Amino acid sequence: MSTGIKNLVRTLDSVDFLKMDRRTFMKALGAMGAATFLNTYQAEIVGALEFAETKLVWLHGSECTGCSESVLNAGNPDLVQALEKLNVNLVFHETICAQQGIWNDGKLVNNSELNSEILLEETYKAGKYILVVEGSIPNGPNGSGRYLVIGNKTFKDSLAEAAKNAVAIVAVGACAAYGGITSADSDVAKDTDYKGVAYSKDVKGGMLKELGIDKPVINIPGCPAHPDWILLTLGAVILGKIKVPDDLNTLLDDYGRPKVFYPPDHVVHDNCPRRGYYDRGEFDEEVGGPGCLWKLGCKAPYAHADCAIRKWNGSVSMCTQAGGPCIACVEPGFPDTSRPLYVEREDIGVAGTNIDTVAKVAVGAAAVAAGVHAVRRMGKGE
Amino acid sequence: MVNVTVDPLTRIEGHQRISTEVGADGVITDAQSSSLIFRGFERILQKQDPRDAAFLTQRICGVCPLAHGLTATNALDDLYGVAGSVPKDALMMRNIFQGLNMVASHATHIYVLFGPDLANPAYKKVLTTLGDTGNAVWKEMVGRFAPISYKMDGVAVPVGSSYLAAIPEKKRLQEAIALIAGRMPGPSSLYPGGYTYPATVADVTKLASYYLQVMDFVSKHTLKVPFNDWINNTYKASSPQKAVSFVTEHLQGLVDKATTSNDFSKDAGWGDVEFYAAFGSKLVGEDILGLPASLKHDTIGGYKDPSKICFVAYGGYYKYKDGYDPKSPAGDRIFTSGVVSGKLEYQKFDPEKITESTAHSFYQNSANDLAPTKGETVPFTDPNKIAFTGGSNSQYSWDKAPRYDGIPGEVGPLARMLNIKEPLVTGLAQTFNEKGYSAANVYTRMLARMQEMAILAYELLNWVTVDYTPGGKISVPIDLNAAKNNTGMGLWEAPRGALGHWISAGSDGKVTNYQAIVPGSWLMSPRDSKGIPGPLEQSLIGSNISPVGSVDYTNPVGIFHMGRSYDPCISCAVHTIDLTGKNAPNTLRIL
Repeated sequence: MSTGIKNLVRTLDSVDFLKMDRRTFMKALGAMGAATFLNTYQAEIVGALEFAETKLVWLHGSECTGCSESVLNAGNPDLVQALEKLNVNLVFHETICAQQGIWNDGKLVNNSELNSEILLEETYKAGKYILVVEGSIPNGPNGSGRYLVIGNKTFKDSLAEAAKNAVAIVAVGACAAYGGITSADSDVAKDTDYKGVAYSKDVKGGMLKELGIDKPVINIPGCPAHPDWILLTLGAVILGKIKVPDDLNTLLDDYGRPKVFYPPDHVVHDNCPRRGYYDRGEFDEEVGGPGCLWKLGCKAPYAHADCAIRKWNGSVSMCTQAGGPCIACVEPGFPDTSRPLYVEREDIGVAGTNIDTVAKVAVGAAAVAAGVHAVRRMGKGE
Repeated sequence: MVNVTVDPLTRIEGHQRISTEVGADGVITDAQSSSLIFRGFERILQKQDPRDAAFLTQRICGVCPLAHGLTATNALDDLYGVAGSVPKDALMMRNIFQGLNMVASHATHIYVLFGPDLANPAYKKVLTTLGDTGNAVWKEMVGRFAPISYKMDGVAVPVGSSYLAAIPEKKRLQEAIALIAGRMPGPSSLYPGGYTYPATVADVTKLASYYLQVMDFVSKHTLKVPFNDWINNTYKASSPQKAVSFVTEHLQGLVDKATTSNDFSKDAGWGDVEFYAAFGSKLVGEDILGLPASLKHDTIGGYKDPSKICFVAYGGYYKYKDGYDPKSPAGDRIFTSGVVSGKLEYQKFDPEKITESTAHSFYQNSANDLAPTKGETVPFTDPNKIAFTGGSNSQYSWDKAPRYDGIPGEVGPLARMLNIKEPLVTGLAQTFNEKGYSAANVYTRMLARMQEMAILAYELLNWVTVDYTPGGKISVPIDLNAAKNNTGMGLWEAPRGALGHWISAGSDGKVTNYQAIVPGSWLMSPRDSKGIPGPLEQSLIGSNISPVGSVDYTNPVGIFHMGRSYDPCISCAVHTIDLTGKNAPNTLRIL
């Protein structure tokens, strides 16, 4: 990627949603190799603040609140500014909202200004809200969903209720997207039966399918998801840049991810700050050095995300920059397809992972792997 | 008698229910604390590379992932036998990394999670009947602490000034962590034997600049006493009495000035700490300072029977020297390990005295009160048995009941401050005790958290600018074979309290057992096999749901305060399962 284009992408990171003109955005997207995304930009942004207030309902399933933490770290704009600029009413967010569930002798009391359960009932009834889901959904035990019960309702049932009248559904983080860490392989995973909203690991058909609800879902995976990925996607939906569901076929990849942030033809490795060491075949085998982390298990060649360009937390760093291997947390098989985290991929068998996932990952990484071998042969004087 | 239930208790991490029986006088006579989720984090480390633990256990909690990662790294240092040789500069990087996160976590708790309840309409009702003073105080409360998307009587309330200003600071602190750890949450920089990233001179300069920006926020909003004066006269005070006198005299000065002006603004010297320190407490505010009213937060959330509670700390933050002793954190940590009884007597901490009960949890175990390493975890699989309305004699939570020497333990900032004998918090605790209050209550719990933030800010500057030396050794190599048939213990302090990880590896060097005992389990625990309620339950029983004004079952603000004062983290607290019981040693159990 040329420096000029890289700068454009950086610009994308720092610009205000509303001032982000179509041309700049298109160029940036083109740079990311997501040309199909361009077609979805049908209209310029006109007087966005005149838009009617958009309601946002943010539900938490089985999660660690890491993605909410991440979105609170959003840079420019920050979360509060973004909500104001986009005229968003964050109606409900369990970690932030003023309300809570209040019951007297088993009945809901007070009103929606203090009682979250009344607020949600009213919001679902009124409809026209964007639903964000953070965290996975347990189907167990025995299909009952009772491994998570909030406000006297299984989360499975709450999701059904919330999804029904949502105008768009966004699954934030590895857990909501694919099940994430709660779906990691184990001999009890079948009993907890955790699912993502629209996928179970890399298989399409998550909890919504179980519930018989056929609605499109945008996945923003990552453990956690980058705040830009979340806010820019929500911004694009709210501003009408992304039409749901018409645009989604061209916009999203096979795993429901916006190609603009998770480009099919770009991996974290491409722009890794340690890339020069890789090219010279300088591989660190102990932590704390400046070299390439491939031999410490880095999965950046398999991770389709723009982390290395966008970077994290005000663009100050990223995982590999700080000397830790990339764990490919944006991929549908995470964490299973990334484990063992500190062992290089070629030393790991593919047993236990989904062939389809491996194949797809391998296509993107093939050139990279070939490169590693080439470098090694050179090093050995072959 | 009315059943008043808060479900979900929002503005915490995770999903929690509090169910209470309340009399006509508003006093709670019975309470159950229920964790509502079963995460199934189990077994993911079984037969795996132990090193994955530092990454994967971070996913237990996204609010304090660093604490889990670091506790796991301590256990791994022990497992690979390198704890005694971790370079001092790596230990300082870990301190900086954890210290920044603890400050960010406390700030989030104070401003985003706990603070909004100070803008609850219950206070408006009472304060606005108290003339100019009451109106001025209410104006400050709602003007500082109102959350986003907040409405009152149908009218949108602007976001509070402190709340609004705190969000960018939290972000700044996380950015500072990312600078030395890759990203936040989910950093990548922990590894047994050291740390993966040696901060450069430029990084140190940048960290110092972050520090100054955060301190600028502190001096504008949080604390109006010059920071060094505060530290010298509280944390560094020669006695608890002197620390308490310094604070009460400072507050008295503010109160005297405000008597005529009714100006309780930040400009008039009322930082958020001063404001809460004066108005939060009946004893301090009304009895000592002579204020006409207070929020009476010292009258709720206390323990009625001091023989049924203790304050537990495992110890955190390394001293600046190479290596540390993983088995005995008392000697080489800045925050020491220890146990303080309900009557404020000091004891030595012994990890062997920890047991767990599942008598009131959703598990069908054959034995109870076992050491955590021997515990069973056989969950209910019959959906009908997972019920939350059966009362105190039933099984009603996914949380287990950890006990120290058979006694429920409060962990967290208050427990830490008591264990290091921090003068201000210790002095306040003693004062409350002498005046017939519980030493621990919503007010002292919050002040301890605020004071710990100040202390960490002070220590952080030392770690960054004095102790840490760029260019020093940052790690020692580990021998993967050293893990074979070995065990490791990691004892540490998360923002919310004492955190322990235990790991065992087999003859192939792969994990055979991994366990975590987390602060949320201690704090939110249900009753144990003897029927003793957990810390939150004890603090609820006997407290009033309406600390001020008339009893309002439909707005039990006292319950909101009590539940949130512990800064509960339920994702950490909820247990995992072991369907067979006999496979317990192979299970990653998140308590």
